[in-house]
Amino acid sequence: MSREPKPKAHGVRDPKKGPFIFLFLLPAFLFLIVFMYYPIEETVRLSLTKTTGMGSGVFVGLENYQKLFLSEEFHQGLWHVFTWAFWSCIIQIPLAFLVAFGLTYYGNKLTGPLRSIFYLSNVMPSAIIAMLGKFIFAPRYGIISSLSSAIGWKWLGSIDYLGDPRLAFWSLFAVATWAYTGFPIIYLMARIEQIPRELREAAELDGASAWRYARSVVLPDLNYPIRILAVLSTVGSIKLFDLPKMMTAGGPGFSTVTLGITLYNQGFVNWNYGSASAIGVIIFVLSLLFTVIQFTVGNREGKPI
Amino acid sequence: MSERSSRFRYGYSEIFVTVLLILLALVVIAPLIIPLLFAFKTQLEFSYHPWSLPKALLMSNFSDAWKAIRIDQGLVNTFIVAIGAIITTLPPAFLAGYIFARYKNKVTEVAFYCILVGYFVPAQMVLIPLYKFEVATKLSNTLYGLFLVMATFGIPFWTLIYRSFFSGLPNELTEAARIDGASHSKTFFRIMLPLANPATVLALLLVFIGAWSDFLLSLILLTDQNLFTMQLRVNSFLGAYGTDRMPRYASAAIIAALPTIILYIAGHKWIIKGTIAGAVKE
Repeated sequence: MSREPKPKAHGVRDPKKGPFIFLFLLPAFLFLIVFMYYPIEETVRLSLTKTTGMGSGVFVGLENYQKLFLSEEFHQGLWHVFTWAFWSCIIQIPLAFLVAFGLTYYGNKLTGPLRSIFYLSNVMPSAIIAMLGKFIFAPRYGIISSLSSAIGWKWLGSIDYLGDPRLAFWSLFAVATWAYTGFPIIYLMARIEQIPRELREAAELDGASAWRYARSVVLPDLNYPIRILAVLSTVGSIKLFDLPKMMTAGGPGFSTVTLGITLYNQGFVNWNYGSASAIGVIIFVLSLLFTVIQFTVGNREGKPI
Repeated sequence: MSERSSRFRYGYSEIFVTVLLILLALVVIAPLIIPLLFAFKTQLEFSYHPWSLPKALLMSNFSDAWKAIRIDQGLVNTFIVAIGAIITTLPPAFLAGYIFARYKNKVTEVAFYCILVGYFVPAQMVLIPLYKFEVATKLSNTLYGLFLVMATFGIPFWTLIYRSFFSGLPNELTEAARIDGASHSKTFFRIMLPLANPATVLALLLVFIGAWSDFLLSLILLTDQNLFTMQLRVNSFLGAYGTDRMPRYASAAIIAALPTIILYIAGHKWIIKGTIAGAVKE
């Protein structure tokens, strides 16, 4: 390692450089080798073996994957994850754009505090979000139920938002929209604030309305960040676990099952390591796929991110 | 653009949009405020007048909730995990980030891509082997077994951040120090690392919040109830006590959310700035 050719970095040949580089990289690699590279290799191996205990198991090829592709739970998980991603892009990103534009267009004393309020729930641990989500949607005593009873709308109060298989998924989605739209808001705000002032002034001189300015100047400029946000929410959806686990445990039935929930159930409820590892590999491949899309999109745009 | 002295430079449209945004902000923080309305009431008072102001400030719900999930122990455990995550994430990240920024050659480039790969590996992918490995090595059910894993999944990201930060510092500083005869490591620890303080403050805050908030890894790696972190305790509370006793539920929510809220009030400017910086980097 110390025998590398010397580029311009320090000019003179330096025998201490190699060991120095080695020592500085060592800690990071120790962590990654033990807790990441080795487990990655193991995941792939386990996903190809049939094992239920601590034994090394037998090689079964792609059997775990085949079984998964035939199982109802996995289908539901896959479907929910992508439905979730789709609606995140359709609802959360436009909503975030409207808020971000409104906050930045009239930059006044309230902009800063409002931005902080919108972002607050994003730093909350998911357990707290789940707890507050149940608090909102609980039957009888939850915010919605007791508020609608208080104003006499009994029909609204009697809905079981988390217990009804047709509604549970959308209730979770509503909680996530409440809790996690803050990130796209602050991200888009940061991008909008970078738009040169002159453009804004020119638009105003031309008598462009706020809406016209948003559509013709701001939105084209946000083309790339919005696509990044779409990729981020898709990758986030693929890994969705905490909220459905804590609020509905994937139920009722399979109505809120995600890939993460399926992995957990296979691995830590059924103790079927092979199948759980196969889901792990699938989650990795899917999220890598969308990240690669992010980077190719970024390169085509030719912009330093 | 004309400068007018009024706070609302754009007249009615600005007032309208601002009011709309304030209303939306109220909706957004409502789930954090409303528990305050419920938490100080007895169950009886709550079931008759859930939306009125509490008649008296009853504290027993808080002590009930506190005892039900042993919040003191949870706070201590979570704090240890968060501090441990900071101590084990930052040094490997700033050391490696410095090398990748300042000692570019073929070997370090390959090493860099090896670390970069780690950034794209979701924890869910390796959950099963991690669990098996930690059980086999008796690392599971220890707090350090948890924060070492958290550090592993944080190191790639923070290495990238430190790398781009060190790349932005002027070359002359290190050259001057080297000419004065300072060793490689002395140059780093005396000159470069202190200059990276902005990145370090950011890392301190965000690693702390990340470790504090973790659910998945803690759920898998900790089964001993005494070691449960705050988030696991909240989860057990959700499983064990329904929302039927709403005042106690609301109290538990307030206690559980409070540490994050305090941290956020103190550091929201940093947190938002840092989050954007981190996001834009990618």
